[in-house]
Amino acid sequence: MKKQTFIPWIFLLPFLISLSLFFVYASMRALMLSFTNYNLFNDYTFIGIENYKALFRDSNFLFALRNTVFYAFFVTIVQTFFALVLAALLNIKIRGINFFRAGFYLPSVTSSVVITVIFLWLFQRRGMVNFILSRMQALIPSVLTLILIIAAVQTLLVLLEKRRGMPVKILELPLLITSMLIAGLAVTALNSFGIIPIPEFEEINTIWLNTRESFMGIPRPLWAIIIQNIFTTIPTLMLIFLAGLQDVPPVLYEAARIDGAGPYLQFRYITIPSIRPVLFLVLTLSLIGTLQMFDQVAIYGDAVPLQSVITLAYYVYNRMFPGGTLPQVGMASAAAMFLAVITIAAVILQRLLIKSEADR
Amino acid sequence: MTDLQNPDTRAELNFLARRRWARVGVVYVLYLLFMLVFLSPLLFSVVSSFKTNPLDYPPTLKTPQLNPLNWIAAGKLGKAAGGGVWTGGAEPGNEFTFSINYFIEDIENLQEPEFTIPRRKPGAGLAAVKVPTYAADHLGISEIEETRREPYLLESLSGTAVEYTITVTYPEGDGPLLERVPLDILASTELIYLSSTLPASRLERRGRVASFDHIAPGVVGFAFYNYRRVFDETESLSTGRNLFVAWFGNSLFVAIARVVLNLAFASMAGYALARYSFKGRYLLFFIVIASQVIPSQVTFISNYLVLRDGVFGITRLFGVKSLLNTLAGVIVGGAGASAMVESAKVFIMKQFFESLPKETEEAAFIDGAGHFRTFFSVMLPMARPALGAVTILTFQGAWNDFFWPMIVLTSPEDIRTLPIGILYFRQIYGAAGDWGLILSGAVMSAVPVVVLYVVFQKYFLQGLSFGGTKG
Repeated sequence: MKKQTFIPWIFLLPFLISLSLFFVYASMRALMLSFTNYNLFNDYTFIGIENYKALFRDSNFLFALRNTVFYAFFVTIVQTFFALVLAALLNIKIRGINFFRAGFYLPSVTSSVVITVIFLWLFQRRGMVNFILSRMQALIPSVLTLILIIAAVQTLLVLLEKRRGMPVKILELPLLITSMLIAGLAVTALNSFGIIPIPEFEEINTIWLNTRESFMGIPRPLWAIIIQNIFTTIPTLMLIFLAGLQDVPPVLYEAARIDGAGPYLQFRYITIPSIRPVLFLVLTLSLIGTLQMFDQVAIYGDAVPLQSVITLAYYVYNRMFPGGTLPQVGMASAAAMFLAVITIAAVILQRLLIKSEADR
Repeated sequence: MTDLQNPDTRAELNFLARRRWARVGVVYVLYLLFMLVFLSPLLFSVVSSFKTNPLDYPPTLKTPQLNPLNWIAAGKLGKAAGGGVWTGGAEPGNEFTFSINYFIEDIENLQEPEFTIPRRKPGAGLAAVKVPTYAADHLGISEIEETRREPYLLESLSGTAVEYTITVTYPEGDGPLLERVPLDILASTELIYLSSTLPASRLERRGRVASFDHIAPGVVGFAFYNYRRVFDETESLSTGRNLFVAWFGNSLFVAIARVVLNLAFASMAGYALARYSFKGRYLLFFIVIASQVIPSQVTFISNYLVLRDGVFGITRLFGVKSLLNTLAGVIVGGAGASAMVESAKVFIMKQFFESLPKETEEAAFIDGAGHFRTFFSVMLPMARPALGAVTILTFQGAWNDFFWPMIVLTSPEDIRTLPIGILYFRQIYGAAGDWGLILSGAVMSAVPVVVLYVVFQKYFLQGLSFGGTKG
């Protein structure tokens, strides 16, 4: 590496200018403004921590805080968990993996506006989501029968193979496929003979968007955004995990199998430790992304009650451009600072947790 | 050694082989299944974007607009009306026929349906404000003719199928090209709608009212009806410019400008970070990392003010008072750090330059080339793969960018970029439930990036390991 005092700064000049103006200066200025009563048009004065105090008296801010914290932690945990499980399930070296990779990544290529507009449409009262829910509800008896028949046939087949002296496992795959086929045929037959009829569809008309109803204390429109985000992020996270998993030497798994470790123990003691760096990356990105969720709220806009989906990021925007009333730049800055502190705290906390786990 | 002659051992080997095959098979099936599940919203919305009403319930993939038989009928109608097989429309001096079939149980109750070319505004939103050319003012409908009558079985109900045909005439003269020929057919309660030359756009009151948006559409005009509406019904009321085209152009301009700036500046910065050691290097790294974690909500406040004041008045030198509502503002500034030189792109370049052998530069230095010549004529040409990644990823980021353009570009309507435009569609047409137009606009706005993705897949998937994901 060349020691130079002058040359590198010339190469760095454009980057430094933009970084100092649009990041360093901007952060400092926001911090400063958070202690003022600036409204875009006045000569502001410093008012101490009044803005921060006012935040906690503002019901919209409290809603935003609750929504953001729940959203970030729920979405991060659920999507990471499912992505990891999915990746472990699909972790086998196969031909044509590039085709699948391309397909799984496609939803992440398009813009959040396109995805959100599509989901808004799916969540309409007479939309796809309600349609799928009502069809699933109608199919519950058939699915239960299917599972029962699979279990019965599988037990039978495993016992038969055991008698032939084969080292079969309970969920032996070839047998499981056979049982599924048999059960599928059986249920189809039962359905068509009307023994287990598919009941009349009871249309589910859940209103997802323009409603003040809530589920588990969380407004329903926020659930819609949660479902959308989990659904569209899992494939990408899954690909990141898959890339990490395929680097784990298969010898480790073989050794564990010889020592008698089952799938769960293998997952717990080989998979998780060997992809810890990837796990950290994914958790960090998810947390940062979800804590700053803005686009979906802005796009859902007037289709939902504001308080049900407002996040801290949107609260900041809303104070800055309230439309109709005077902007409250000071409050906006204070809320932004608050969001920054939460983000940094979450990242550090999560890093500490993963560290202490590693030290055990 | 395994004793292959032993039947027990052989059976066990077969058994293990079966287990392996089953595993591979199951994994393939799972891959396909999950991919289908995760892509289904996109696929379903693309198919539905062609439908007259994407909110049809129950939802189905069956879309008349995607049925080749209807394309043939639409092409014939467009040709007969004089507008042409592809784009359709009616021109003076042409006539064409249109038929509709009804089922009636008791032929005694037969009553002729009523055909009208309505004076109807083409849609909600801007289309409702614009004054259209009404087809009703120019076209004439002939007497209704009963062209066929035959016994028919409708779901075990025996009765008669009756076909009515009208001839639509556009008299000779200097009338305009009619871009839209709507038709309403009102039938008595006994008649049940079966089919028509083109499928009805809407059936109301159990098929008593069959309404058609355009009965001389041509193939493209029929299949891409919603897509055409995106262009036809989105005009700026102040400038008369086509909004969608304007937005598309803005997005393209912003994306290309950002690509060029990032290529130049990120490669320079990346090179300096990879090859030089200097005071403040670690401080710089710290700031860059911090800029990734600090939310853009913190920085956009000041960045907005900076643009409003014309970057401390510097832009006044060029006669521009404020950079708000300008594309330059979107390009120069950025909600987070900056759109001109993105930290992530600097990292891509830094990593790449670190992977190049140092000998190349040393040779250049020995030959007497200076630092800048070495960079521009030796190192930069070698960095083509990384520059490719920066190009593609910057373009994608700029094309999809939402937060910053939404803050900077508020008026007039035609200064927006595509994502902000699609949001505007959602606000205007969503309230009216007009999802055909919203979805087709959204699908079109995604096309450039999807094409780029299909062609330059590897750059996108590389970006995955750089952590180029959104929440």
